[in-house]
Amino acid sequence: MASLVSEFGAMHAWAIATAAVVSAGCALVGTLLVVRRMSLVGDAISHAVLPGIVVAVLAGGRPGGVLVLVGAVAAGLLTVWLTQLLSTQGGLAEDAGTGVVFTTLFALGVVIVTAAASRIDLDPTCVLYGVLELVPFDTVEIVSVNVPRAMLTATVVFLLLASAAWLTWKTQVLTAFDPDAARAVGVPVGFVTTGLMAATALATVASFEAVGAILVVAMLVVPASAAELLVHRLHHMAFVAIALAVAGAVIGYMAAWYFNTSAAGMMAVVLGFEYLVAAVLAPDDGILSRLARRMWLAWRVLCEDRLAAIWRAEEAAAIQPAHATASVVSATPNMTQVPPSRFSQRLALTWLAFSGRVAAVDGGWKLSAQGREEAGVIVRSHRLWEAWLGRHADIPLDHLHPPAEWVEHHLGAAVRNRIEAEVGQQGSDPHGRTIPPESEGKGEGEE
Amino acid sequence: MSHDVKCHDLEFHDVTVAYGRRPVLWNIDLSIDGPGLFGVIGPNGAGKSTLVKAALGLVPLVGGHIRLFGRPLEQVRPRIGYVPQRETVDWDFPVSAVEVVLMGTYARLGWFRRPGAAQRTLARECLDRVGLGEIADRQIGRLSGGQQQRVFLARALAQQADLYFLDEPMAGVDARSQDQIFRVLSELRADGKLVVVVHHDLRTAGEWFDSVALIDMRLVAAGPTATVLTQVNLRRTYAGHLDVLDELGRAVEQRGRTP
Repeated sequence: MASLVSEFGAMHAWAIATAAVVSAGCALVGTLLVVRRMSLVGDAISHAVLPGIVVAVLAGGRPGGVLVLVGAVAAGLLTVWLTQLLSTQGGLAEDAGTGVVFTTLFALGVVIVTAAASRIDLDPTCVLYGVLELVPFDTVEIVSVNVPRAMLTATVVFLLLASAAWLTWKTQVLTAFDPDAARAVGVPVGFVTTGLMAATALATVASFEAVGAILVVAMLVVPASAAELLVHRLHHMAFVAIALAVAGAVIGYMAAWYFNTSAAGMMAVVLGFEYLVAAVLAPDDGILSRLARRMWLAWRVLCEDRLAAIWRAEEAAAIQPAHATASVVSATPNMTQVPPSRFSQRLALTWLAFSGRVAAVDGGWKLSAQGREEAGVIVRSHRLWEAWLGRHADIPLDHLHPPAEWVEHHLGAAVRNRIEAEVGQQGSDPHGRTIPPESEGKGEGEE
Repeated sequence: MSHDVKCHDLEFHDVTVAYGRRPVLWNIDLSIDGPGLFGVIGPNGAGKSTLVKAALGLVPLVGGHIRLFGRPLEQVRPRIGYVPQRETVDWDFPVSAVEVVLMGTYARLGWFRRPGAAQRTLARECLDRVGLGEIADRQIGRLSGGQQQRVFLARALAQQADLYFLDEPMAGVDARSQDQIFRVLSELRADGKLVVVVHHDLRTAGEWFDSVALIDMRLVAAGPTATVLTQVNLRRTYAGHLDVLDELGRAVEQRGRTP
């Protein structure tokens, strides 16, 4: 750790700390914005605070000072208010209204800051992209430690946001989840929402020096969106979002130093990468786990179809011994969907043989006791479903097979027995074939 | 006309409600007293949900007033429970079933107090009452439609109210959940509560509700179920849709637009 610090130097450490704190504040606010589907509003506010900052600086405020914070919050709330005005009075769609208002305000800010560049201590480039690298050079002394001014502002703002979140969390959650019910119990929903907007403006303005007006949107939206994929409780989501944001700040800054490029840009890139990883690896909704679930189901269906096919062939052989010589493997009774490839059938049979469900006998396959029990359950599901459909739906006999071929893999024991109770213990399906009885052991293929 | 001095549990007095400038409920006069199950019945677009939302202060009144337990809404809010339509919320929202039920206790906690052990115990008890104790910690998006509706009902129970409003609690709900919901509503009646239910299914309305109101933008009839649910009244509610009210509503709206 000591070598790390000395390598980067105290300057870099301060810059990283500042980036981490502003990112954490944005991620906390962003969590509520994302679950309320208000990411666009966050985008709007983060841009629209610019004229508020500029005007405050022109009026004598210093960057990071109280006057600037107030100006930014006022500009943010003005955006929300103007948008609502356009939508209720002008009949403009809310998203279009947001687009009109924030771009206009942002442009106004750019125009003023450029025109007044010679008079005020505010650089247009710095406003747009942030200058995290320069943050450590503007310091204030606190208890004989030189703390960057931006770090001080960011910390105060973060503590403010965190305590507000702690105190009003339940109200924010109720308002976010069910605004009608919140209103019905007397929660001033408009006021709560305005509070969230003010918090967004605060988080944004604290981030301005570090990451600029454009990339701050990434800090608001991306960590929370990634966290939403990973966990399913709002407070967990807030903590995960903050952790991802801090990691993004630290890794992003170091990567930017290594590649000698923009720190804010690299932080946003790292956040995007974190989102990508979450989307691929998320335990429940991730691309990989969904793919794995699909493949596991396909494999199960393949194996069960093989088992059932052999079961049916043995049944046919028992009824008409003359046909016993028919190759058992090719016994795939009236399959209407695309048959699985020869290779995958072979693979399934190899697994079934290996797991002791079937055994090879002179060129064909024979079920073991366990295999027969499991296959019986599948055939039973299949024929019960045919019997049930035949009774309840006006479907020609030859149309009964395809749905049953699909349903047989999903019918649980409870439903099977209910269907049997309903269609009666007649013991045969609409084609006149015997429905095997429920086995004593627990059946396979149940969900 | 006798002048009733007794204050009713729920009273609409000449209530007119408009969305924008367009009236959707006209001059509703309705008094309801508990305990009991009260059905609000009518065709699509009749203003059934609007009637309930008006009582809860969710839509502004153009005319008339509403009294709950003889008082304005603001004075009795803690005594009112509400189950909105299931479709009005985002069920992918990252909360568990028990956390949603816990929201029912928030109103009594005030602004800054956080829910504690007492509230959590109550929330679990309410979930047990609707038969969902075992899936309390599941994320709400993973529940079936009927289970989601029962979670909403459990949240209303956690409010420990005296007057409940339920907006279409039986819509898109499986038979088992319907039975469970009806059983809980009957328990509420037995506890002396008044339960007002917006309902669209005429087949079940007759057996479930003690009293009903038939509405189609105006009040057609109200009173004990047996006397109100008659062929004549139903025809007046469903078949006799009053185009005049629609036309008039549009005319009022137009007048507001053109100078």
